[in-house]
Amino acid sequence: MTSFQFDVGSRARKAGRFIGRVRSELLKALSERKAKEGLTQQALATKLGVHRSLINRQLSGESNLTLRSLADLAWAMDMELNFELRERTATFGQNESATTSTISHGQIRFINGRNDAGSDKAVHTPSYPEPNAER
Amino acid sequence: MSTIDGLIKNGAFSRIEIELAVGEQPVRLIFGTTGFIEWLNTLLQGAEPEHRLGDTTPAEQVDQLFYAFVSGKPLNYLRQFRFIRAEKNAIWELKTPDVRIFGWFLQRDCFVGVFGNWADHVKDHDLYRGYRIAIRRLRRELDVEDNLCVKGTSPSDVISI
Repeated sequence: MTSFQFDVGSRARKAGRFIGRVRSELLKALSERKAKEGLTQQALATKLGVHRSLINRQLSGESNLTLRSLADLAWAMDMELNFELRERTATFGQNESATTSTISHGQIRFINGRNDAGSDKAVHTPSYPEPNAER
Repeated sequence: MSTIDGLIKNGAFSRIEIELAVGEQPVRLIFGTTGFIEWLNTLLQGAEPEHRLGDTTPAEQVDQLFYAFVSGKPLNYLRQFRFIRAEKNAIWELKTPDVRIFGWFLQRDCFVGVFGNWADHVKDHDLYRGYRIAIRRLRRELDVEDNLCVKGTSPSDVISI
C-alpha cells in the first residue's frame, strides 16, 4: 500500500473542520489581542465571571463551545462575530469528491446527490420496498 | 542512502491522504507506518476513549488536525504539536483533545506517524519514553537518522508557519 485515504465521511468532515476552524479563529484573535493589549485568558475569565480553566478547555477543544460561549468570548475580546451560510458553487474543472457519510452517523443516504445537472443526479436506489407496493 | 520514495516502495510507510477543500493543494505531507495506519482504521470504525474530552469524535479531531497540517494552516505549538524531548533528531507529538500521535519529521513539513493512542492513556501510563525509544529504534533500522530526520527542535524547523 503506497497511500491511505483517511476519510471520515463528508458529514463528520464538515463538523470537525468547522468546529476546528472556529477554535483556530478564537485562538488567533486571543493571540493578537495578547500581543497588542496584553489580554490574557485570566483577564477573559475575570471579565466573563468564569474560571480560567474553563476558557482554556474551551479553546483547547476539551469543553463544549456553545453559540452563547462563542458570543461571550467575542464580547470579552471586543470583537465582532460573523457567520454566514453560502451555497456551494461548482467551478469549471474542479474535482467533485464523494459525499458519502461513512462514520458514526447512520445509514448512507446520498452519493453525489446534486440536483443541478443531469449527469450528477443521485445514484441512490432504495433497497427497501416502496410503501403500498404489494397492495 | 534511504529516500522517501524508496521507503514507500519498501513498504516502510505509506502516504496518508485526506480530502482537501476545492482549490486547495497539499503543502505538507503525512506518512504512516503500517501499524499507525491500522490504528487510524480503528478510529474510522468509531473507536472512542473511555472518557472523551473533545466535542468532536476522535476521527473528526484527527481529520481536522491532518487537514490543518496538510493544507498548510498555522498550527499552534504546544496545543497541536510539540517535541517529546529536546535532543538532536527529536521525536514529535501531534495532539488533539483525545488523541496523541508520535513520530518524527523526515524533513520540514513532512511527518511520519508511528504510534497513535488516547491522550489519557498516554498520560496515565507515561508512555512517552517507551514511544520515544521505539521510534528511535525504528529510525535506526530504516537507516534514516542522518538524512531523513529533522535535527532541530524549534517549531519552525519542522513546520513552516
